[in-house]
Amino acid sequence: MAEKQLESTARATAFQKTWFGELRRRVFDERDAYALVQADVPFELFDLLDIPAVSNQWWSSLVAAKRQARAFLDAMSADGLPEQLCRYCSLGFATTRYSGAGEAPWGGLPPPRLLCARLTCDCVHRVFSLWAEALGAELFEIDHPGATELPPRWWELGRHRSRELVEPHRLEFVAATLERLVEKLEAISGRRLDRAALRARLERVNQQEEIFDEARKLIASAPVTPVRMTEQIANVMATQWVRGTDWALAHAEHFRDEIARRVDDGVAAYADERRRLMWVGAGLWHDTDFYTAFEESHGAVFVWSMYLAFGPDGYIRYGFDDPIEALASRTASFNEYLHNPPWAAEWIVEQAREHRIDAALVLHPRSMKPSATGRRFIERALEEAGIPALPIEADVVDARAWDPATTRAAVRAFLDERVPL
Amino acid sequence: MGTSAIAELTAEFEEPFRVLGRDAARDRDAVVISWPSVPVEIIRAAGLRPVIARSGAEPTPAADAVLEPELFPSRLHQLVEAALTGRLAHVAAIVLPRTSDPDYKCFLYLRELVRRGVVGALPPVLLFDLLQSGAAEVPRYDAARTGQLLASLAHISQRHPTDDDLRAAIGAAKRARAAARRVDALRRSEPRLGGLEALPLLGAFWHLAPERYAALADAAADAIAARAPLAGPRAMLAGVPVDSNALHAAVESQGAIVVTEISPFGAAAAGDDVDDAPDPITAIAERYRRSSIDARTPAAVLEGRIESVLPGVDVVVISLPRNDASFGWDYPRLRRLLERRSLPHTLLDVDPGRAIAAADLRRIAALVGASARAEARRG
Repeated sequence: MAEKQLESTARATAFQKTWFGELRRRVFDERDAYALVQADVPFELFDLLDIPAVSNQWWSSLVAAKRQARAFLDAMSADGLPEQLCRYCSLGFATTRYSGAGEAPWGGLPPPRLLCARLTCDCVHRVFSLWAEALGAELFEIDHPGATELPPRWWELGRHRSRELVEPHRLEFVAATLERLVEKLEAISGRRLDRAALRARLERVNQQEEIFDEARKLIASAPVTPVRMTEQIANVMATQWVRGTDWALAHAEHFRDEIARRVDDGVAAYADERRRLMWVGAGLWHDTDFYTAFEESHGAVFVWSMYLAFGPDGYIRYGFDDPIEALASRTASFNEYLHNPPWAAEWIVEQAREHRIDAALVLHPRSMKPSATGRRFIERALEEAGIPALPIEADVVDARAWDPATTRAAVRAFLDERVPL
Repeated sequence: MGTSAIAELTAEFEEPFRVLGRDAARDRDAVVISWPSVPVEIIRAAGLRPVIARSGAEPTPAADAVLEPELFPSRLHQLVEAALTGRLAHVAAIVLPRTSDPDYKCFLYLRELVRRGVVGALPPVLLFDLLQSGAAEVPRYDAARTGQLLASLAHISQRHPTDDDLRAAIGAAKRARAAARRVDALRRSEPRLGGLEALPLLGAFWHLAPERYAALADAAADAIAARAPLAGPRAMLAGVPVDSNALHAAVESQGAIVVTEISPFGAAAAGDDVDDAPDPITAIAERYRRSSIDARTPAAVLEGRIESVLPGVDVVVISLPRNDASFGWDYPRLRRLLERRSLPHTLLDVDPGRAIAAADLRRIAALVGASARAEARRG
């Protein structure tokens, strides 16, 4: 594993350790009422009503980090669940349903008061229904109406003109669903949601993402990459889980300032940077060393992933009087922004140009159907923009079919052939 | 009339999508839909005719270059191939429902292919955003989307139906559904027709004008009712809903009779009637939300459907192609249900766009053989 170069990363790690510890104390030791949620639900509502929210994706990454994923994934297969089904969203379910197959962290998740998921991919209803049944808990679904108006340059419209970005009927639908979610959470917590506090929190989320925007611009415009992509992700994700809190704002500022100092001082993440790469898709969590594997051989440094860039472009919403509408506006089209034509391709090309990217590696996770679609549009758009693109077939949590040596060799050959110096 | 009715129904199931692109004048009133969760009552009330894109073995090289492998079903490859090769240039509209993610993505892809000029002439490409979750907001949302679909199609056809027109379309479909139920009933208990023959007779419901369908299906039912019952283990097809009778052919080639399937093209083609509610749009939306069978249909709804037909079944064939993201999650629970009922089953990954593999045929043969032996032991 590459060394951590930023003090911010150490701070983020320490904070996460404390945060996880607190979550663990409340959820696992004290058995507080908590919610088990998909990563794309509005965490702000849970936090303001003091209901700890455990993210499915966070829990899955923890299971994977404890090297227990394989045991649970094998148990799913042994029960007859076909291999093509999504593993990213279901590894957590497997730790409950097949609890005897491996050793889930801290003895496994206790029953939550509520599960909550957006019905993005077709599998989400299935996975969360099964999980809710296995845990004996209630499931709250946020349905996902389809986008029909997809105006160009969504990342510019989103901030000030998001009513042009999300059709009124979709906005109204998602807002109504979030209002029902608030009622549900209020019933669980026995408290009323303070709407003024929610508005203030969302304003602070805007501020945090503005700071991330500055960090992104520093990285994009620096002569050489000042921060490895993996450290960008570590800092961003630690902050995004608690977005809009005092710590999150302070950390975002510290992260940005540290990058600015490195840029001013001419510090590079890798001194002999000769090629700038972008990673398109979710992180390859079971093999993060992959992201530094081409530095020595090719001077190839991963400069960009969606994690830092999506904060400012996907989350900032100005001008909403109603904070629930602001949340709905942010939530309604997450998947379309990141994965589908025309939005994903044009955003990624824009980002590639801004970051002076030489080549892109595009994840094709076949079992994760929503993330696996739109890939060819993205690759074609990159190629048309003069940026060579290499498809990488992999699952982000299931390493059983991953061959690190073969994939690394393929990337090296791609760099030699398509990105000559 | 029985034999000719069966022949006409079969042709009306098989042909409409295949013949698109051959006669521009004939294509002009066709609305190509990717799955029958788009209300045919709405299409017909707008003076148009539904044509469903179905899976097939025909190669789809243009579509294969656009659609990522193992994510989209054969029927969507066929639809995109037709769009990219100009066969849909003269149809009135293309409508894809939100009832599966691949259909929604295909909608986005087609729109993008048009925007980028990859495909030249395409009619309006519409999304029918029918949601199926149990959320309180969904019925109202679906009714509004159904009204929007009607408005879009009426704009295209320049025929603006009244509520009475809609009620007439609902009534005509109801009579056609009743005829389809007569045909389907002849498959149960003592089946007089196999699934290979039945699927086109039922699936033609979606394509034919309802009055014509009712007349033909009634005539076919009269003729079939006079036949002797068929012998063999009674099979159900479950898993990803089939849109062709290729799997029926494979199962019946091994001696079983497919008496039902969880598919809107077969036993569920008739499905539920649209209620006689005061607002026909709301009633149509409600019917399609409750009754459409697709990847986003709630698991409990599908399980209820399966349980209701199991008493008349001896074996179950479950097919989960590689592009499935949804139905496979139901398999362990379905397996346990079948075990409780002592019903043998086999699990296949048959892609309706390809020939049935020899290994799959052997699995079916073993299943049918075991059932026949068990039946013989029971005397």
